Amino acid sequence: MGYGLEDLFRLVQKPGRYTGGELNSIIKKKEEIEVRFAFCFPDLYEVGMSHLGMKLLYGLLNERQDIWCERAFMPDTDMEILMRENNIKLFSLESRDEINTFDFIGFTLQYELSYTAVLNMLELSGLPLNAADRQDTHPLVIGGGPCVCNPEPVADFFDLFALGEGEEVTLEIIDLYRRHKSKGYNKAAFLVEAAQIEGVYVPSLYRPSYNPDGTIESMTPLNGAPPKVRKRIIKDLDTSYYPDKFVVPFIDIVHDRAMSEIFRGCIRGCRFCQAGFIYRPVREKSPETINSQSRALCESTGYEEFSLSSLSTGDYSQIERLLPMLLDWAEKQQTNISLPSLRIDGFSEELVEKLNVLRRSGLTFAPEAGTQRLRDAINKNISQEEILETTRKAFSSGWTGVKLYFMMGLPTETMEDVAGIAALGQKIVDCYYANPDKPKGKGVNVSLSVSCFVPKPFTPFQWEPQDTAEILEQKQKHLRNSITTRKITLHSHDPSTSFLEGVFARGDRRLCRVIQEAFDRGCKRDAWSEHFNLNTWLDVMADLEIEPAFYANRRREYDEILPWDHLDYGITKSFLINENRNAHQSITTPHCRIDCSGCGAAVWKGGVCIDKRD
Amino acid sequence: MIKEIRIHFRKCGQVKYISHLDLMRTMTRAVRRAGIPVWYTEGFNKHPYLTFAAPLSLGVEGLSESMDIKLIQDIDMEDIVSGLNSVLPSGLEVYSAGTPVMKAGDIDKAVYRLTFPVKPKDFAAFLEQDSITVEKRTKKGGQRLIELKPFIEQGAISQKDDGSTVMEVTLPCSSTQTINPLLIVSACKNYFADKGQQHIFCDVLRLDLLDGQGNSFK
Ligand code: SF4
Repeated sequence: MGYGLEDLFRLVQKPGRYTGGELNSIIKKKEEIEVRFAFCFPDLYEVGMSHLGMKLLYGLLNERQDIWCERAFMPDTDMEILMRENNIKLFSLESRDEINTFDFIGFTLQYELSYTAVLNMLELSGLPLNAADRQDTHPLVIGGGPCVCNPEPVADFFDLFALGEGEEVTLEIIDLYRRHKSKGYNKAAFLVEAAQIEGVYVPSLYRPSYNPDGTIESMTPLNGAPPKVRKRIIKDLDTSYYPDKFVVPFIDIVHDRAMSEIFRGCIRGCRFCQAGFIYRPVREKSPETINSQSRALCESTGYEEFSLSSLSTGDYSQIERLLPMLLDWAEKQQTNISLPSLRIDGFSEELVEKLNVLRRSGLTFAPEAGTQRLRDAINKNISQEEILETTRKAFSSGWTGVKLYFMMGLPTETMEDVAGIAALGQKIVDCYYANPDKPKGKGVNVSLSVSCFVPKPFTPFQWEPQDTAEILEQKQKHLRNSITTRKITLHSHDPSTSFLEGVFARGDRRLCRVIQEAFDRGCKRDAWSEHFNLNTWLDVMADLEIEPAFYANRRREYDEILPWDHLDYGITKSFLINENRNAHQSITTPHCRIDCSGCGAAVWKGGVCIDKRD
Repeated sequence: MIKEIRIHFRKCGQVKYISHLDLMRTMTRAVRRAGIPVWYTEGFNKHPYLTFAAPLSLGVEGLSESMDIKLIQDIDMEDIVSGLNSVLPSGLEVYSAGTPVMKAGDIDKAVYRLTFPVKPKDFAAFLEQDSITVEKRTKKGGQRLIELKPFIEQGAISQKDDGSTVMEVTLPCSSTQTINPLLIVSACKNYFADKGQQHIFCDVLRLDLLDGQGNSFK
């Protein structure tokens, strides 16, 4: 006799991940539902439940009476073993029905290293992994999220992808599906028609061919699929849907608070940052909308904290007007406002004090590079003087710690730039001791966190070779040797995960086999460092005669056909080429509010592209 | 004004799988959602003051759980009960609110109902052992052998319609001595596992908390 699902809850370490029943989770009557949608997050409950995009789509789909959207997450190892032993298939948290009986299974692809987790979840559902092997009776598997800007390494496993912002296009896909269902559903016919919806990419309708050197020769659309698929955006965030309820987890999750999205996109254009390009153009919500949405959320959840979410909250143009509105009720209700990744330079001291900005997050900066030359090359607009000025102020009001974030392996980086990271840390240490009224008997702690740069599609660095692990290790060693004081602590990231991330980020369809084979050999939790095993991946690639350096460490020519060239995120290639050239000459580009640099995102005629500049 | 109020509630069904910390978070948010005027702790990380008597272990249900809050404004006790029930997730249900009669330190014993998926005859054999011991993890990370027999001897045994065995038992639950009912569950599991029965899942329900005189905690 095997165990049932209830028994498993008694055996696993954190049953609260699997039981559902949280406040504001949505239960519907199956008989009244036309379309069942399983929103799958290929990571643990605690990670997935912290993700704003999931909350948004969950609320949006469930607004519709004919749709029931439920949630599923990657089980932890203990649960997975028990599920497999007892032949219990992956189930949704709401109805606990097996998700293989649903109409749609939607995955959000937030990071490349979650690809094998997607396969694992499909396998735990008892479904064929390859889209081509799934029949009319199987659910359609759909992907969204940032990695979908180059989904080629997982193209074989998905029936369709939704490019860009999912709110409208997901409903359009579901409506088309309903029409097909009512007249006799046939998957192939449905997909051909779905490919006509703007923002829908049906990978099986594109056939790649390759040059002898391994680069792509062409990508041929079939059955009338468009030669280029353009991402979708929501033009007006003030009128678009935003949930007034969040599911409130019982167990502690990574970001356990209400979140208000204040704008999408980023004006900055840091050349290493994919998010800075694929979400363009910047579109803001009005302070009034944010205020009422925040308040509704706090009241329906009881959360004692809410955060303002965006790529760079300090760039919200009306922050000085918004914050007092929020503080007005938040203070009365004893609700804290948290402001992640904020540049506090533009703030009045009173606001900084009220918001407890420093006490919350500590003093953090992200210069990303150690020298001004390299910061110019990556278009990271922060100067040493600004950092020192802010730290000086913080030190004189009693602060003793600073955290700085850097990247290593950036294009054009030299050993001098690497040493510059240590030098900047040293300057901050010196700045502390130069302060006459520093706290007595207390030392300073400057923490340097250094990750490894991964070139990404749709950035000016999409043609650049990624540093090999050997080079990165040399650079890390050089950095360690450049630090001469114990006041500086250094956290370096493992280059091997970045390497695999780099292979996938700019990979093509030939990697589908690699991912499937690595999964078969036991890789399924690559995003969790304790489960990551680079050697298995290297063995698989060697066995399948796939050269990882071809994807990660090769410089591409501007005229090479890239695996994501048939996808259109608004950003033009000529703009990216121009930006790449600028990078090599350390020429900076002003942000969207100073000047439009003509990136291409103006095709949507929305947001910052049509705002007046002074 | 600050007025201490004791709220009694049930924790049944799937919410038994949430830990004590999870329960505290859930109740904190419920108190906030219900808009009950409660006193917040001072300091940087302000939160409503809530304290619970004798927290339940993960997996255990309870019929007479209690938590204390501090009101800063007079409101009707009925409104506290209905207000909380309208915002609590299913499985948590408040049934009374009022001025505390006893102190948390008065709690001396707890009454449990344990349901074992074995026949009463087999269960009796388990009980009739000369000694019923189980390993208990100590705070220092070591292991200690606990003799359970004296605690469960006087348990009242009955049979359910489905053939399983029910035992109601009163266990020490004070600051000086506490016996967790899950120890009985694991002793029972070990016993039947040795007999080749691997699938023993027991339900544990706390019926009541008692003071030294045997009065229900109020
Ligand atoms: S078109 Fe101009 S203003 Fe619009 S996002 Fe691109 S650079 Fe910014």
